[in-house]
Amino acid sequence: MRNYVAVVFDDTGKAYEGLHALWQLDDAAEVTVHGTAVVHRDAMGNFQVDTKETHPALATAVGVGVGALLGLLAGPAGAAAGAAGGAAIGAAAGGVVGATADLVRADNRDQAATETRFVLGAGQSAVIADVSEDWTSPIDTRMRSLGGTVYRRAKDDVTDDVWFDDDYFYPSYLYPYEYIPSSHSL
Amino acid sequence: MGKIETNVKDALDHIRAATQELHGAISDAAAKRGGATKADLEALAQKAKAVTESAKGSISTQRDAAKKHLADGVTHLEATQKHVAESLKSSGQSFQTSVQKALAEARASAQKISEAVAAKRSAASK
Repeated sequence: MRNYVAVVFDDTGKAYEGLHALWQLDDAAEVTVHGTAVVHRDAMGNFQVDTKETHPALATAVGVGVGALLGLLAGPAGAAAGAAGGAAIGAAAGGVVGATADLVRADNRDQAATETRFVLGAGQSAVIADVSEDWTSPIDTRMRSLGGTVYRRAKDDVTDDVWFDDDYFYPSYLYPYEYIPSSHSL
Repeated sequence: MGKIETNVKDALDHIRAATQELHGAISDAAAKRGGATKADLEALAQKAKAVTESAKGSISTQRDAAKKHLADGVTHLEATQKHVAESLKSSGQSFQTSVQKALAEARASAQKISEAVAAKRSAASK
């Protein structure tokens, strides 16, 4: 089954351990990971996505894309966070994503909240992943052992959402391999 | 006596790893401050060609969904090759556009080939 997974950790170091563990599960053929990103929320509530992109416009697109995905996984609290994440990286684009989500698609955000109950708190980090998994226990067990809390939504449910929109939704900004910035090397 | 390796990687796993590596190399070049050099792009063109040929040669060895996803992946790899070649002949904004298109196509090929791997793993577990 194809799922989007978010694993929340209390600190950045643990999030990267989680990312590494996820790709180890892929290497062992327990799951297949199609893409990953790591998102941080600082003490002020601002979001940051680790990316290689140095071009401001592309870095903004990555932030908005991953922010939108976070919103889809997160429900109301996370949708607001997703918009704020975009805003932190690129105000105009982030604002558009947030306004659309708030005004038009509230029912779907409620649905997302019910299904995932996912909130990324200030100071926490999350691994966002697009995975194929025949059973959920490999990821659940491994991430729990690292102190992570796992949330998932079926990809079909996400793409069925009214507010799924290719213009705003960029799963392609997830790295298709284990990318750990040198500043966070394990 | 050496330990027997139980997690044997097959051709599809190797193609996936090579495609991931290609995407990594293109994104490193795209993110390079001051821009990618001609030598970077020539190396990318060689790498893209090698991965495409390898993936193309493996299509006939795959079955069902894995075969279809791999064929889709090859289509994106060919497009990657085309855009990398274009970037070698261009400059300025058109150069940036070609590199970004190559990156997007490499990402799409990695996606399709990982879907081929997932399909093959899922079929093997049944």
